[in-house]
Amino acid sequence: MTFVQQWTETSAFFIWLRESPSVWAYPTVMFLHTVGLAFTAGASVVIDLRLLGVARQLPVAPFARFFRSIWIGFWLTAISGLVMLGSDLDAKVTNRLFAPKMILVACAVVLMIVMRRRVFAAAAPDQTSVSASARVLAAASLACWIGAITAGRFMAYF
Amino acid sequence: MRFWWIVPFWKTLHYLSITLLVGVVGLVDLRIFGVAKGLPLRPLQRLMPWAALAFVMSFVTGAMLIRINPAGTLGPPVNVAFAAKTVFLVLIGLNDLLYFASGLKRQVDGVAAGESASVSAKIVAGVSLMLWVGVLYWSRMLTFLAGAI
Repeated sequence: MTFVQQWTETSAFFIWLRESPSVWAYPTVMFLHTVGLAFTAGASVVIDLRLLGVARQLPVAPFARFFRSIWIGFWLTAISGLVMLGSDLDAKVTNRLFAPKMILVACAVVLMIVMRRRVFAAAAPDQTSVSASARVLAAASLACWIGAITAGRFMAYF
Repeated sequence: MRFWWIVPFWKTLHYLSITLLVGVVGLVDLRIFGVAKGLPLRPLQRLMPWAALAFVMSFVTGAMLIRINPAGTLGPPVNVAFAAKTVFLVLIGLNDLLYFASGLKRQVDGVAAGESASVSAKIVAGVSLMLWVGVLYWSRMLTFLAGAI
């Protein structure tokens, strides 16, 4: 931890990120976080809604193909998040909402992987019916994303 | 100042609405591009009312945030990011209008599972996606560009 702390405190990149008034510094990293997040969480939420009964005519299996785009969005969010974390390590780690947010994100990602394997990969090509357990997974995923976004937003005020 | 949680409360609702909006628009646009071709487009477009609902929610929550701090957004001096965001939203409206008025929407409705959408539909979807990313950009810059000019 101390090594990471020292590195983020002394590296030219993190100093620039912290101190530059340019919109190309911190604001741009924040923007990348927002774009990645909006897409990753947004796509997951729509998939959750489908499993919960919205647009029932849509076959379930083809949604598996969206996961690659969702992962690209996820890594964009994760990397930009790590960069922001590094720019203000102490304040972020000691923020009361940081741990709950990360736990909710981790749960949402695990649920996404479980849903992909158990629900989308297992569905017949034309299947539109959704099992009760798949609906439970979808409801849990929806709750995790709503919680994570709420915690993330409130973090700036704690 | 009012209660400390008023601003993050409306911001959270604003973000949640935008997440749903970008999620629906993103998936429909990606399908038109050719991702997840197994999905027929007529039932997929039935998700669009959710995007419309999310837009109304974003608009209302955004209006609440402006009401709390009008000077930060409306100025004077006018916030460059807010002006640009408004222009991008108008362009999105025009792009959507083109999509419906030109008959592209009806054509796309006919795209069944496994079929590709036309090139013109792909262009409209690409423009939509880029404009929405632009709206996110200007929204993110709002707090940084307040009073920049």
